[in-house]
Amino acid sequence: MKDENRIGTQNLGSLYTDGRVRSRREWRGVVDTAYDFSRWLHNWITMFRVVLVKPRNIKAMFRYRWMASYLAVPMMIDRHTQGLRNEHLRICHEEQDLIVEDVAKLLDKLFRGDRRIGNDKEFSSKVVLVDENEMQSIMMGFPTVVPLSREIASTYIPVLLNQRAALHYIDVAQEYGLAGDVCPMPEAEAGVSIDDDAPVLGCCAVQCNTTCDGSLMGNSVISKRLELEDGIPVFQLATPLRHREDDVQEYAAQEIRNAIAFIEEKTGEKWDWTHYFECAKRVNYATECRLNWLEMNRTDYPQVFGSNLALYTETNYMAISGRLKVFEDADRKISALAEKAFKKKRMAANEYRHRAIIWGVQSHYYMDFLVWLLNCWGIVPLTDMLSMVNTRMIADTDTPENREQAIYDIAWLTENMIMRNRTHGGYKVLLDELWEFVEEFNADMVILWEHMSCKALDGMHGMFEEKAREKGIHLVWVSHDLFDPRVISRQGVRDQINSYMRTVMNEEPVDPSLEILNDAESW
Amino acid sequence: MKTIGKKLLLILLKLCLFAVAGLALLFVVYFFNLDMKLTAAMEPVLTWFYDNRVKRDQHL
Amino acid sequence: MKDLKYLTWFEDLLQEANNELVVRAREEGKRCVSYICENSPEPLLNLDGCFSVRLRAPRTGSMEMATYYMTSFLCEYSRALLERAIEGGYNFSDCLIAPDGCSMINRCAENMELLHTMDKGKEHFFYEHMEIPMKADDNGLNLYVLQCKNHILTPLKENFGIDVSDAAIRKAVTEHNRVCELIRAIGEFRKGEKPVITGYEYSVITMATYAAPKAMLIDRLEETLEELRKREPDVKSPFRVRVALVGSEIDDPEFIKLVEETGAFVCVDRYCYGSFPGRDPITLTDDEDALTQICRQYMYRAQCPRYMNTAKLLERRSYVDRLAREYGADGILYEQVKFCDPWAYDRMLGSHIMRNEYGYPVLSIDRPYTVSGVGQLRTRIQAFIESVEIKKLHGGS
Repeated sequence: MKDENRIGTQNLGSLYTDGRVRSRREWRGVVDTAYDFSRWLHNWITMFRVVLVKPRNIKAMFRYRWMASYLAVPMMIDRHTQGLRNEHLRICHEEQDLIVEDVAKLLDKLFRGDRRIGNDKEFSSKVVLVDENEMQSIMMGFPTVVPLSREIASTYIPVLLNQRAALHYIDVAQEYGLAGDVCPMPEAEAGVSIDDDAPVLGCCAVQCNTTCDGSLMGNSVISKRLELEDGIPVFQLATPLRHREDDVQEYAAQEIRNAIAFIEEKTGEKWDWTHYFECAKRVNYATECRLNWLEMNRTDYPQVFGSNLALYTETNYMAISGRLKVFEDADRKISALAEKAFKKKRMAANEYRHRAIIWGVQSHYYMDFLVWLLNCWGIVPLTDMLSMVNTRMIADTDTPENREQAIYDIAWLTENMIMRNRTHGGYKVLLDELWEFVEEFNADMVILWEHMSCKALDGMHGMFEEKAREKGIHLVWVSHDLFDPRVISRQGVRDQINSYMRTVMNEEPVDPSLEILNDAESW
Repeated sequence: MKTIGKKLLLILLKLCLFAVAGLALLFVVYFFNLDMKLTAAMEPVLTWFYDNRVKRDQHL
Repeated sequence: MKDLKYLTWFEDLLQEANNELVVRAREEGKRCVSYICENSPEPLLNLDGCFSVRLRAPRTGSMEMATYYMTSFLCEYSRALLERAIEGGYNFSDCLIAPDGCSMINRCAENMELLHTMDKGKEHFFYEHMEIPMKADDNGLNLYVLQCKNHILTPLKENFGIDVSDAAIRKAVTEHNRVCELIRAIGEFRKGEKPVITGYEYSVITMATYAAPKAMLIDRLEETLEELRKREPDVKSPFRVRVALVGSEIDDPEFIKLVEETGAFVCVDRYCYGSFPGRDPITLTDDEDALTQICRQYMYRAQCPRYMNTAKLLERRSYVDRLAREYGADGILYEQVKFCDPWAYDRMLGSHIMRNEYGYPVLSIDRPYTVSGVGQLRTRIQAFIESVEIKKLHGGS
């Protein structure tokens, strides 16, 4: 399928330079360029308003190394809006601009309570630190408690912004004797803690063993400092690995009860059922929207896909978990835009050649790879593993039975955190269900991210190959090391697709200027 | 009255011109990616600062 | 020292997973319950009519097939087990019980299942994947008990007609404890200035109790204990320092031999397949069911790094300290198999804490699964021994 009327979408590679940033922004036609410009202004105003006007946040900028990566925020949006026009551009901005504002508020709050920066003790007494890799569903019943994640601010977001953001921390962890083969995400998080580069605040912390062994273990490094030196008590929320089994659900639910009791004790706040069920309704609405978008993606005219789907789902599903109405409003707007585009049979790229399921753990330093796949080779990333999360509606009306069910729902959501709902729980959720999705979405290709330090995924390598062969599906392995572009660079990632498309598929790129890009120095 | 009206109109016109000029300038910054080029130039300064001026209690 | 009478016999048992005692037990009609991880409570796998074998892959050469299925990024232990399974080395098994303890072991067991490595032609073969607690608390205990019921006892009863009653479990504990008491008693001879058993010999004997039916070892363990009571130590000890060996799986005593050949006597075996805590006897009372008591003790004594609550984190260090003091260790050797995630972190933490907070000399290494070609390792251990000797000379503890 082709759409040759998309202004300024040829030769996108010409915008790249050898340095940190692009030579200029895209010309998208008058209307779309004016729109993108207005959103750029909006984001800068947001960043100034929320973060930069406050002297304490400037002080934080000069204290925390990871803050330097936030210089690249507008560029992250440019990377994810590359080649987008019309409704797809607006969908991307709805999502990204909201995330920018949410993260700006996160930073502001972190520094407000940080003992080294704002030192607002009263505020800090209501702060509960949560893991990056933790469903914030546990906070749905605490409207006056402030859940903040230091890891989101210090490692997760910075690597999205700047491919080299985590390298210093990975190196610090390895200098202290951590083996280099572990997953670089918890490794970097541990490195932040070792390097004394994490804000210190909060009345307590809730750590979780999701996503994986590495995350569980990295938390022990962090909790050693947090609990034993900073005096911030830590509750480790243990979430069962075999999450599809019935005989673990009571354990999971009791862990949630224990975590709630811990938060109540430390913050002095009580669980609020009214607020919980309000959030639950939003969780269900978000699930409904996501299912509708995925339904559209099964057709010839997918609308919310690629990094538009992936990044937004990660944020809304995991970090927001129904707690903020503004995300419900965004879901509504995105759905309206998607419906509009779907009726007009809009395409998000010049050509659609292949329909792909993106499986595995994405390379965090190259999340806009999905945009590149689409623009360079016409491979439509219909959905990805991290977006195939919970589809069950949770109880959302306040009754005595539902109050009991709610604990199991929170446990279920926590067990089904993004990524770990597939990398744990047995081979069926990782291996078998992939092929079911291939069929449902009428995909002819699987792009399989092979995060080399993800043992849970790597351990099924052979089985993936055998199944792909059996089903006659093109399976393209794309290796990477999540947070560390030194191991496989962005061009190294692209080359794995380029080789496959040229040698196996015998195709030429839709946009040849994107095939080889010298972006090793780029943010 | 007429003079006040004319003065107001003139002020309004000048404000509009400033706004348009400001927007145009901002558009130039936006289109030629000058904001990112500036922040990219700031990055090495910040990195030097982190390496040399920030005291850390680095330990496990 | 004079060779131990049965050392060669114990060594032979470790040469093959399907050793002579496994063969004999199966010929007697017993069911072989294969398992992988120390978090599976052993007495439950040794009820009347069945015996446990903890899978090992002795004399592993190439791991090419397993590497294809699992890639070279997973720990060599898990790959070696899968390789051996694909080769048919575990066909003596009647079932496999594997906790979802770490991703690597979980994927190893799942690949074994998907590739039908052990179950071909066996009508009642089963693979069970258990959830195990990640914290030692009441909730964890409830989970552990339920998981053992659902994934060990019930399948054993339904598939093989094994008696899983409380009385049967208590009987299995009695037998298990007899072996533990013997191993502990033998291990006491590592204490003192002139030990009459080497770390290598001890590791061979201990490992045999994981790799072969326990009941069939008791006689020779008792004889070995008696022999040790009379054994004369070497006039001049070949060892220069005493070390506590702490870490991940060591299922090949050759590694202990390598360490001791450099001059470091392994006086404490706090590793997976070692005797601490794996050979701690289980104490049962009459006021509670045996299953719950077994699970409680396994959970609270576990030294597996996947136990993530802060109390466990701290306890793992104090445990090593207690053992090191009890057995007179001059230093600690923290080791992990390459690509083991949990031990990568625990080794880092443990090394730092034991060195900086407890004041022990510590050597921290990661090592390949097979011991051959480890000249670098030998050099590092030798250098560590010298540093410990220098510290002792300067009056350090």
